Amino acid sequence: MVADMLAWVPSFAGSVAAMAQHGAEAVRGAAQEAASHGPAVEAAGAGVGGIALPGMGSKLYGLIPLLPLLGCAVCGLLAALKVKSKLPAWMTVVLLGASFILTAVMFNDVSVKGHGAPVVSHLFEWIRVHWGMGERATSLVANFAFYIDSLTCLWMLFVTGLGTLIALYASEYMSHDVGAGYCRFFAAFNLFVFSMACLVMGDNLLLLYLGWEGVGLCSYLLIGYFYKKPSAVAAAKKAFIVNRIGDLGLALGVMLAFVHFGSLEYSVIFEKAGPYIAAMKAGRLEEIPAIVQLIPVLLMVGAFGKSAQLPLYVWLPDAMEGPTPVSALIHAATMVTAGVYLVARAYPLFLLSEIALPIVAWTGALTALLAATIGMAQFDIKRIMAYSTVSQLGYMFAGLGVLTSAGAGFHVFTHAFFKAMLFLSCGAVMHGFAGQLDLRKLSGVGKVPGWRIVSMAMLVGCLNLAGFPVITAGYWSKDMILGGAFANPHMQAIGWILLVTAGLTAYYTFRVYFRVFAGPVEYEPGDELHAHGDDGHGHDGHAPEGRATTGHASEGHATSEHFHPHAPGWAINTVLAVLAVSAFAVIGLRFIGGHEGWAADMVEQSTARYEGAAAYEMAGGHAAGSGHAGASGHALFFGFDAHKAMMVVSGIVGLIGIAAAFYLHYAGRTTAARAKADALLPAMGPVAGWAQHKWYVDELYDFLIVKPLWVLSNIFHLIDKLLVDGLVNVLGWIPRAMGGVLRPSQSGLLHNYAVGMAGGIALLLLIVVLVTRS
Amino acid sequence: MMERVTYLYPEIALFITTCIVMIVGLSRELKHRKLCAPISGLGLLAAGVLATGLVPGFHVATGAEVDPTAGQILLPNLVPYAKVLVAGVGILLLLLQAGTVDRVEEARIASGRAAFNPLRSNRAEYYAFFLFSLTGLMLCASADDLIWLFLALELTSLPTYIMVTMSTSRHSSQEAGVKYFFLGALGAAVFLYGFTLLYGATGSTNLNQIHHAIAAGGLSGLSLAGMLLALLGVCFKIAAVPMHFYTADVYQGAASSVSAFLAFVPKTAGFIAILLLASCAGWTHGAGDSLPDALRTVLWVIAALTMTVGNVLAIWQNSVKRILAYSSIAHSGYMLVGVVAGPGGGTFATSGIAAVLFYLLCYGVMNIGTFGVLACLEGRAGADGEPAEIESLDDLRGLCQRHPVLGWTMVICTLSLLGLPPLLGFFGKVPLFTSAISAGEIPLVVVLGLNSAIAAFYYLRIVGSCLLEKPETTTGIVRVTPFGSRPAGALASAAGVIVLAIFGNGFMAASEKAAAYDGGHVEKKEPRAAGVPETAPQALGPAKAEGH
Amino acid sequence: MDSPILATTDLSSYLPIVLVVLMAVGFAMANIVLTMLLGPRRAGRTKGMTYEAGMNPVGTARKRFNVRFYLIAMVFLVFDVEIIFLYPWASTFANLAPGSDQSLVWLVRILFFLFTTVVAYLYGFRKGVFKFD
Repeated sequence: MVADMLAWVPSFAGSVAAMAQHGAEAVRGAAQEAASHGPAVEAAGAGVGGIALPGMGSKLYGLIPLLPLLGCAVCGLLAALKVKSKLPAWMTVVLLGASFILTAVMFNDVSVKGHGAPVVSHLFEWIRVHWGMGERATSLVANFAFYIDSLTCLWMLFVTGLGTLIALYASEYMSHDVGAGYCRFFAAFNLFVFSMACLVMGDNLLLLYLGWEGVGLCSYLLIGYFYKKPSAVAAAKKAFIVNRIGDLGLALGVMLAFVHFGSLEYSVIFEKAGPYIAAMKAGRLEEIPAIVQLIPVLLMVGAFGKSAQLPLYVWLPDAMEGPTPVSALIHAATMVTAGVYLVARAYPLFLLSEIALPIVAWTGALTALLAATIGMAQFDIKRIMAYSTVSQLGYMFAGLGVLTSAGAGFHVFTHAFFKAMLFLSCGAVMHGFAGQLDLRKLSGVGKVPGWRIVSMAMLVGCLNLAGFPVITAGYWSKDMILGGAFANPHMQAIGWILLVTAGLTAYYTFRVYFRVFAGPVEYEPGDELHAHGDDGHGHDGHAPEGRATTGHASEGHATSEHFHPHAPGWAINTVLAVLAVSAFAVIGLRFIGGHEGWAADMVEQSTARYEGAAAYEMAGGHAAGSGHAGASGHALFFGFDAHKAMMVVSGIVGLIGIAAAFYLHYAGRTTAARAKADALLPAMGPVAGWAQHKWYVDELYDFLIVKPLWVLSNIFHLIDKLLVDGLVNVLGWIPRAMGGVLRPSQSGLLHNYAVGMAGGIALLLLIVVLVTRS
Repeated sequence: MMERVTYLYPEIALFITTCIVMIVGLSRELKHRKLCAPISGLGLLAAGVLATGLVPGFHVATGAEVDPTAGQILLPNLVPYAKVLVAGVGILLLLLQAGTVDRVEEARIASGRAAFNPLRSNRAEYYAFFLFSLTGLMLCASADDLIWLFLALELTSLPTYIMVTMSTSRHSSQEAGVKYFFLGALGAAVFLYGFTLLYGATGSTNLNQIHHAIAAGGLSGLSLAGMLLALLGVCFKIAAVPMHFYTADVYQGAASSVSAFLAFVPKTAGFIAILLLASCAGWTHGAGDSLPDALRTVLWVIAALTMTVGNVLAIWQNSVKRILAYSSIAHSGYMLVGVVAGPGGGTFATSGIAAVLFYLLCYGVMNIGTFGVLACLEGRAGADGEPAEIESLDDLRGLCQRHPVLGWTMVICTLSLLGLPPLLGFFGKVPLFTSAISAGEIPLVVVLGLNSAIAAFYYLRIVGSCLLEKPETTTGIVRVTPFGSRPAGALASAAGVIVLAIFGNGFMAASEKAAAYDGGHVEKKEPRAAGVPETAPQALGPAKAEGH
Repeated sequence: MDSPILATTDLSSYLPIVLVVLMAVGFAMANIVLTMLLGPRRAGRTKGMTYEAGMNPVGTARKRFNVRFYLIAMVFLVFDVEIIFLYPWASTFANLAPGSDQSLVWLVRILFFLFTTVVAYLYGFRKGVFKFD
């Protein structure tokens, strides 16, 4: 058995070889396999459990992840060649742009022409291991293949689209680092897009896991980009370690799925889950084994880690130590939505579990509320945006939990645009004001010459985030989630929490806008004026395109009277303008397609479809067809249809929040640091302070987890040093001693050797005689 | 019945090459003399190609095809694999031999200080001996008879004695050559004595017949004694305990290029001989289909002792060449584990024979890398103009900084010898473990594992010296050898260590095929064979048969 | 016991040989031991010299000397062996059917053998074995 199991070791090493040698063969085999599936798709339309068996996709789609991978390799090469130009950035923009165009082609093929019927695009055989014999024969097959349906397209559209735009933005933003870290930055950037594409497009959980760890790695590399800055290194480590907890859950979930379903491929898993889905729809929950219910719970832990949900959200605010384009792309728009993607992709499994989706909903809602309260009390604008990201991710999870996966998907899409825009605007401010992020030290930025586009973009982003009625996409997507929550008779409480959060969000969003971009013009430069590019943002040392070097920093002016912020250049302005326009354009998506809009259609066409039955609805006496509201239509909100009511209510709540921000932070403000809100602080007592200290969650974790582990590690260290090392040293000494004993036998004298040989032979013969006698 | 010549094409090709080299090497013209090495290479290439059996018109038959009653049928597919292996590794070895002999003399002739004197020139003999030895090695694989086997083994060994002696002009080389010769003669005497006893016990020198007799009548006391002495004598070739004493002295005394030769050629010959002898005894005894108990015990003890002795002795050494010599002993011990394990289920992971055959390839490749780097480095020239050999561990300090290519070659090959994944050595060692596990030799596997750990100690010392330490100004390395083919050989083997680790599947499959063991063959046929009257070859264990 | 196996169990016929071996070893051992016990020991410079007989050793023992004698001996051996092989070949070849395939094979074989001796001769020639100056 062991030998059989070990037999794969050499062949595993040879997998690359197998790829080359048998590549053609494997592809041919897969083609046949896919061809044999083809008619099944035609015939069944939808396989068992309503999930269509995949057809065969074009291999061209493989270029979508491979182009960024190529970019990564070329950036590495450029770094080795010590290239000191913006070449890596332009190459990245071009490659990602090509990737985006391919994604659009894929979207057209699969979602538009194919009506979302999933296809599998097989690139090559990646891992194939067989072990056991007879009935216990098991094989682990994970191909480098992509499972493409509308959900994939939805995600890939904004991953590659925003990736291209943000790469363009970064080409200017990172220009102070040309030569030094420029290649490194763009190599990691490309690697990130590759990993994210693997995560989203993979046709099996192992490829998803590869992408999952890949984006984690890139996140780590990019948060710690300014690796000479201790806080950046600490933040990178924190992000990595906290994610590890989630990843453990994901790994266990993947393994459990393999153990139970015998495969890692989505199509097989969903096919094998078909009977359970049928049982669930018929209300026979007892037929669903506990192990199947456990898989989504474990996957969920992974999702909570990556998407910064309670209790694992603590890494995301600290991750803002990375360069702002990274915050915008990875920690706002794309990577953090991987958790949402995972839940959406594995939605059929989540629907099977009585506990998974309620946990998702409650965790999401509580995270949304908690992060919003923390965001209200922060002064660092980038950090406020980070908490708002955590909060909005909570919204998405809540949306999934209350069974409006379409709303969650739409919110992911809109959020990606406006949150990236918000971050990029904040980044532009940070870039121009020498790293200044404190909203008490910035005021009236919108009135400074050259900052109009940034200010407009910020306003558009804030309106979206606050959910300003009707004219913002954020309003429509948030509204779908709120409506879904109130429409679900089990989830009314979630709805109330989210509604409160919506108000808070509007308040803290416009708190930033009114204080930083409106009001009297007054600003102080950040501390990067003094830091001459050896760590952190050395913005001072470079000349923006098309402008003479103002040299404000190099001339040694360190006071605010002499400080001139340098306005963003064309790349940043272009990207912000494009994003602002597209943030509005996204509204249109709400009104094309089905009655809930285009994004909803995309989700409905995929595995994330909610088919009117979830295990937790069935539990607790709500048998199917018993006439409860969830089966027939919507629950009511004070006698109104929940969705329609929410359109009004959420709009009003958003406006109230904005109005509060206007009154407290804009009206009558004379200096940057003072606002009417300060007067409220004493009235709130210690609560404001607690919120500002993030409810002491970091300290709590430190006390509960880090400190005990630290003590334990010291104890183990002592044991290791005294006991284990001692034993090992003794063991290491034995061979030396043996060698010392045997050494004299190598005297170099011929006759001694001859005697040794003859004696050895005699001795061995004696042994044989003794052994055979006994 | 086909001519036996049909499976000796590779040997014939090599032999003819040898004849040409012998004559060409004595030419008065330098440019003709210089053709020795290329001609040898072409000959090896031709032999290798012929050995694959793919050349139309030169179908290389296996022994069984030639003569079902006489040709070696126990390991019927061994021949092509072994010969291709020998030709391939032989070419790598040939690359290292450039400039080993006649270096000073040729320099004198080139500068006009001396005229060409055929009596003083060693080039022709050196390359001829090199090829003779490889021819002998190929003949070992073809052997179907004890006499043939003996002659082939001696044809492999005798040239090496002289190669050691003539490899440098230092006294230590002469001393090493003499020691090697006398002890080699002792070893040869032992296995020859074993062969005669085997003949006496079974009445035949044919390997199939011997197997037949042993399978039918069991190991009698006499045949056991013969088998034991034969195995112990052949242990000299593979440098296994207790016949290992010469190894360090001889490897140290010979030039590095010759040491590389010694570490592969006699060892491979020895292992082929051991496999043939062991397959005569048969892995069909006892409950677990293993060797006869006494043989298993002896090989078990030898394997365990060999690895342990080799590894612990290496720990104390400061001379890289001695370290590598002791490591060569230890590796023989590892491979003996495969012999003990036997053919098992016949798959690559379970067959110890396949493991041995594959490990021979791995060991050959990675070992040439380490010795090749040493052969590339030259110390101060002595009084006779010959540069000193580099062998102290201190001389290698900071090699990766001073000569990055050679340094990394050394590091990669040493790590591969250590068995570090994902290098070739690891994939060579894994089947040794798996086959022994599946054969149920758990204690031996434990010894093997422990020894792999001990070996890390001295291998990592070499790696640390090359990679981590600062180059010393007082180091003995003066320059890199002017003979370009030596670094080429070392680099090729380093590349092989990496490339074969990735693309080695073909060789694994080939070694699995070559390891096919047909031990049950004879017993299955026995009822019919016993019925055949006196015209059938003798030695069917008639004492038993006629007793009833 | 008309077994073709020469010796299966009965080793008694080897007894005389064992006795002779024992006697030889015993005689040698006895001589060494007796000299050690009985012989007087006088160390000294003359006593420590290589040749006790009085000849003075000159030069180093690792001296190289002309190998031509050996080479000539080897060339002689080559032809000697050739002739020894030719006799049985000739006597067998005469019995083969003239012009048959088998006789051709036999002819090729001996020609190959002769070729190897020619190579040996050529080698000796180029090595300068036959040059006497």
